[in-house]
Amino acid sequence: MNSMSLEDKLALNKYDIDEELHISVNEDICRTCRNRVCLHICPAECFKLLGEKITYSYEGCLECGSCRLACSKGAINWTYPRGGFGIAYQYG
Amino acid sequence: MINIIVCVKQILDPEMPPGKFKIDPESNKVIPPEGIPLVVSPFDEQAVEAALRIKEQCGAKITVVTVGESSAVNAVKHSLAMGADEGIVVEHIIEGYDSLLTAYILTKAIEEIVAYDLIICGREAADWGSGQVGSIIAESLGIPVVARTRKIEVMDSRLKVEHIIEDGDESLELPMPAVITVSYEIGQARIPTGWGVISAARKKIPSWSLEDIGVDLSQIGDTSSRIKLLKLFTPTRERGCQIIEGKTAAEAAANLALRLREAKVI
Amino acid sequence: MEPTKFDAVVAGAGPAGCAAAYALAKAGLEVLVIERGKFPGAKNMFGGMLCGSVLAQLIPNFWEEAPLERYITRHVITFLSREDSFSIDFQSPSFGKPPYNGYSVLRAKFDKWLAGKVEEAGAIIVPGLLVEDLLWDGNQVVGVKAGGEDFPASVVIAADGVNSLLAQKAGLAEELSTEYVSLGVKELIQLPSEIIQERFNLEDDEGVTQLFDGFCTRGMHGGGFLYTNKESLSLGIVIQLSALRRMGVKPADLLEEFKSHPGVRNLIKGGTVEEYSAHLVPNAGINKVPMLYKDGFLVVGDAAGLVLTTGITLDGASFAFASGMAAAETVKLAKQNGDPSRKTLCNYEKLLKESFVLRDLETFKHSQFFLDNPRLYTTYPELICNLSRGLFTNDGKPRKRLWQLARTEMGRQKLSILHVAVDGFLGRRAI
Ligand SMILES: Cc1cc2nc3c(=O)[nH]c(=O)nc-3n(C[C@H](O)[C@H](O)[C@H](O)COP(=O)(O)OP(=O)(O)OC[C@H]3O[C@@H](n4cnc5c(N)ncnc54)[C@H](O)[C@@H]3O)c2cc1C
Ligand code: SF4
Ligand code: SF4
Repeated sequence: MNSMSLEDKLALNKYDIDEELHISVNEDICRTCRNRVCLHICPAECFKLLGEKITYSYEGCLECGSCRLACSKGAINWTYPRGGFGIAYQYG
Repeated sequence: MINIIVCVKQILDPEMPPGKFKIDPESNKVIPPEGIPLVVSPFDEQAVEAALRIKEQCGAKITVVTVGESSAVNAVKHSLAMGADEGIVVEHIIEGYDSLLTAYILTKAIEEIVAYDLIICGREAADWGSGQVGSIIAESLGIPVVARTRKIEVMDSRLKVEHIIEDGDESLELPMPAVITVSYEIGQARIPTGWGVISAARKKIPSWSLEDIGVDLSQIGDTSSRIKLLKLFTPTRERGCQIIEGKTAAEAAANLALRLREAKVI
Repeated sequence: MEPTKFDAVVAGAGPAGCAAAYALAKAGLEVLVIERGKFPGAKNMFGGMLCGSVLAQLIPNFWEEAPLERYITRHVITFLSREDSFSIDFQSPSFGKPPYNGYSVLRAKFDKWLAGKVEEAGAIIVPGLLVEDLLWDGNQVVGVKAGGEDFPASVVIAADGVNSLLAQKAGLAEELSTEYVSLGVKELIQLPSEIIQERFNLEDDEGVTQLFDGFCTRGMHGGGFLYTNKESLSLGIVIQLSALRRMGVKPADLLEEFKSHPGVRNLIKGGTVEEYSAHLVPNAGINKVPMLYKDGFLVVGDAAGLVLTTGITLDGASFAFASGMAAAETVKLAKQNGDPSRKTLCNYEKLLKESFVLRDLETFKHSQFFLDNPRLYTTYPELICNLSRGLFTNDGKPRKRLWQLARTEMGRQKLSILHVAVDGFLGRRAI
């Protein structure tokens, strides 16, 4: 099997995307962060480094909660998306 | 208080990942994707929404009707959860594109319900997109119809509606009973509240057979033969990328414009 | 008048919540289940094997109607080094008779079916609604808040899974720590059933579970898994979150690496990926089970960390079912006594202590410590693979005896007899 990019994999999933963000990061805290674990811990790689800034895009989020636990600085304001929105697994 | 009937249909989720949409070219049928539940056609949700707004404005009793397999009861439940009062399932599986048969069965069901001042349908079913059912019902019942309506107001026994035409809107007044199909512009359908779902779950939803409403399929002949589905296929999409060069941004833009004109895009 | 207060509101329609609601509805209580997924199962993923015995107590002969993929008759454990693999393979047709030993299951379908049974039993399920908060009367939980509406209840059952925000809101659980959860990432890989049967040596509806230890986690605490479904494979890895955090490896990359391992590559050959999913699972066992009840409130399933991980088994579903059923018993009692306070609800903990739930977790209380040993994921799998390679190599040089090979290999791995003895002792105590 050929290896597949993460974007292509996420595109297979079914999402009902809400306009409301369910996760946000506190940039002020991130600026002081050296380990930046959010960049690698997320299975959907929702966190990206844009220049010096941590950006977060929630569309591909699998709602696992790893980022919330892994960021020890508490910079991530994490909730579940509104009921009915977000990932909808068809197999699971 | 007026009596409103809303016709709804359960369809494949139009929001499903495109890769999951598969058809069987042999039988010209859509293969139901595994694991993706059916939903109420979003345009029909808007029809329910329109009825609910009238109810809020001047009081109404809303009855929802659907024709489909037994799981179509979920479409009715969803509408009740949004705020409709009653619901009926007519159990019969119709090929999606057979609008005539759909409308015929709905008409018979509506006649059985007896009390109606206003019948609301979605613009079209979001799967086959025929958009004919509302008009055929009106014709069969011998009452007026306005299609693609963006606004409905009830004034005593008359309706004031705005409907969309090619280059603008048109304001019309018509007597009741009437059929209205709502356009997308009528606005977003509400999400059911928790208590809405609870009271919908507690309601008994009657299921009618074709016999119950006096439909005899052998009498009406093969409606589907009036439409023949020639070919069902998924269009192939081709994507390409060209980089338009230019020494300066202005030159690149000019070249781009040229290319677009050549491709007859502009 | 329709009742506006429920005997129980259950947050979450996973195995734990559904089991509780089913038992309560069957007993004629007014039950409401609130599930944040668009439908029950929409948010849920697991590896793949459901042990049926507990569910059968609740729904006898459930296997006749539930959407099960394959019943498991073959268990394989595979140790991976960088390139090699060494497997232990157990297959028994006796696992293939009702009541089957276990089934591969896809949660989106299974949970939906189970929730349907709950509705049939008379409970009301509201999907697409997120429980946001609890309602309080002093120290007593008296309902939940969801989507801005209030849903009063005598007892609230928190069945909201591993990230239990509700157990935290009730003040029972602390914030999870990364050592006590593992992250699972998984791909659903479509493959025709004939190929699956041929490739894995299975008849008809028989299935296999294959667990991988070693290189697939790059030495981190965790492992790989493969389950056969009817027409697909569930393939993934589970890794302790703290290890992942430390190592700076991306889970998606690790999964790709796993898929390309020579011991795995050919098992999934020709398949097409259909879904990519991720989910956490509690792994601390008894050591991190929170307070399980308070006035008007019970915690069940993953929300209470009730999962058994021994390295060979990962069983959460049975524990979810059993704890849900125990919660239902307790709520029935509360209804009888007219007392939903902790005086009655403490019965829940008693029931769990009597059943396998807390007993099994107690039995395996050392496994977490044992499984934290990095040698399990590096040294030993490599040792086994290298030893086997030594045994099977024909290179025209004088052959060595197994013991000699082992000595050399242990030397190379810097493994002393003492290590082996200690690990052996810990392992015996843990599993
Ligand atoms: C990778 C992986 C592999 C696993 N493999 C196995 C295995 O092979 N066998 C096995 O037995 N177990 C396995 N498990 C564990 C098993 O999946 C869980 O133990 C089990 O699902 C727990 O059931 P539950 O009902 O407690 O929680 P869940 O199944 O997580 O259900 C919780 C439910 O609550 C809902 N919810 C959460 N918050 C809210 C809220 N605020 N409001 C409303 N609804 C909410 C969720 O959407 C979800 O439906 C595995 C887990 C993982 C992650
Ligand atoms: S979110 Fe947390 S881990 Fe990521 S950069 Fe900010 S502080 Fe660091
Ligand atoms: S919840 Fe999981 S998938 Fe979503 S952003 Fe956090 S780590 Fe990524």
